[in-house]
Amino acid sequence: MEQHKGQQLTEYIVAHQEEFYRLAFSYVKNRDAALDVVQESIVKALSRADSLRQPQYMKTWFYRILLNESMNHYRRGKRLVPLETVPDAPAPTGDPADRLDLYAAIDRLSPQEQAVIRLRFFEDMKLEEIAQVTGANLNTVKSRLYKSLRKLRELTGEEVAT
Amino acid sequence: MNHSWQQARQRYQEIETPPELDFAVASALRAGEKKRRQRRGVRRSLSAGLAACACFALLVNTSPTFAHAVSQVPVLGDLARVITVAQYTVEDQDHLIDVRLPALDLAGDTDLEQRINTEISTRIDQVLREAEERARETRQAFVDTGGDSAEFMPIVISVDYEIKCQSEQFLSFVLTKTETHASAYTEYYSYNIDLQAGREITLRDLFGDHYKEHINAAIAREIEERSQNPDNIYFIQGEGGFTSIADDQRFYLDQDGTPVIVFEKYEIAPGFMGMQEFPIPLPEAR
Repeated sequence: MEQHKGQQLTEYIVAHQEEFYRLAFSYVKNRDAALDVVQESIVKALSRADSLRQPQYMKTWFYRILLNESMNHYRRGKRLVPLETVPDAPAPTGDPADRLDLYAAIDRLSPQEQAVIRLRFFEDMKLEEIAQVTGANLNTVKSRLYKSLRKLRELTGEEVAT
Repeated sequence: MNHSWQQARQRYQEIETPPELDFAVASALRAGEKKRRQRRGVRRSLSAGLAACACFALLVNTSPTFAHAVSQVPVLGDLARVITVAQYTVEDQDHLIDVRLPALDLAGDTDLEQRINTEISTRIDQVLREAEERARETRQAFVDTGGDSAEFMPIVISVDYEIKCQSEQFLSFVLTKTETHASAYTEYYSYNIDLQAGREITLRDLFGDHYKEHINAAIAREIEERSQNPDNIYFIQGEGGFTSIADDQRFYLDQDGTPVIVFEKYEIAPGFMGMQEFPIPLPEAR
């Protein structure tokens, strides 16, 4: 049984490695750092595989580890921003010319808000799944989503209703 | 979903994954698996230790000769033990290999010791050579069919052993080789030694001349029994299902000395059933 679970997890990870890399990259914005995040998450997940009791939660369980790793790197990296990735736009002013496109605007959100937006709109997760991944309750996720959408509207000056 | 969301989503999905990703994932999987084994290994050796103690106590109580004999042997396990003689790791673009190579240490019977140790090392050498050959072929096929050689997912091989029974009378251990390339496959080689007679044990020694009939009937009954559960599926007789054990049937002795017949994954049942084991109790009078 244990062996079986480990193998299921291995197969899941191999099949979805590119999605993991993208999510990590969207936080750390750097190839090597993203590879590190993916590797560390996999090592953590496998060595703790015994704590995964029900295989149907494998996806949200793994994403939770991945997201934590990504955010840790992101916070550490924020103090050391490489020159080429310094955001080129200052905080938005009233001038429409300074407004960001939606993709760049997402980076301006807090890490938790970024998670909700990316998991919901880029990874097509349900709100319940996002709650499991982020460890927040469903209402918190809903209000975070609402708040993030409002912020994005201000940042882009566009109606970003979905 | 409106236009700007579609654009943002597309940009996200266009984040390029580097060619090193496959390799990074494979080596992380290996490192994680190793960590997990270490954790469980500690637990396993603890429980094996306890079982050995239980077995020991029982024998001391039932046999005065044994108690006397033990009093002269300071530490049980001086007579025979399995030790790790080599532990190494190979890591390159084609494969990740982890080996823990056992050897037998028999006090007083160097012939048997040598024969078994030579057999183990020859077998491991051959297994690794074949695996390397296969890794090369697979990689070649991958490149020939248009794959980028940098994206080749390395083959992961791990060789390990487990001691199943260690008593005054018997020593039984199993050597495993697991090869993982998308899905995992494990091969088992078992070694069962009668320490007092100084030779390998056969099923004939344990069950007498009619060992095949006896064991076949027991396994057939057990398959019947297990098939009552709809989750368990075995191949049907005549369609690759179980008919008879082989002449060189693999088995090991468990902690109580009960022989356990082993069938590899796919041998008598679909892959999801995994490896199949059948403990066959020894006949009463022996």
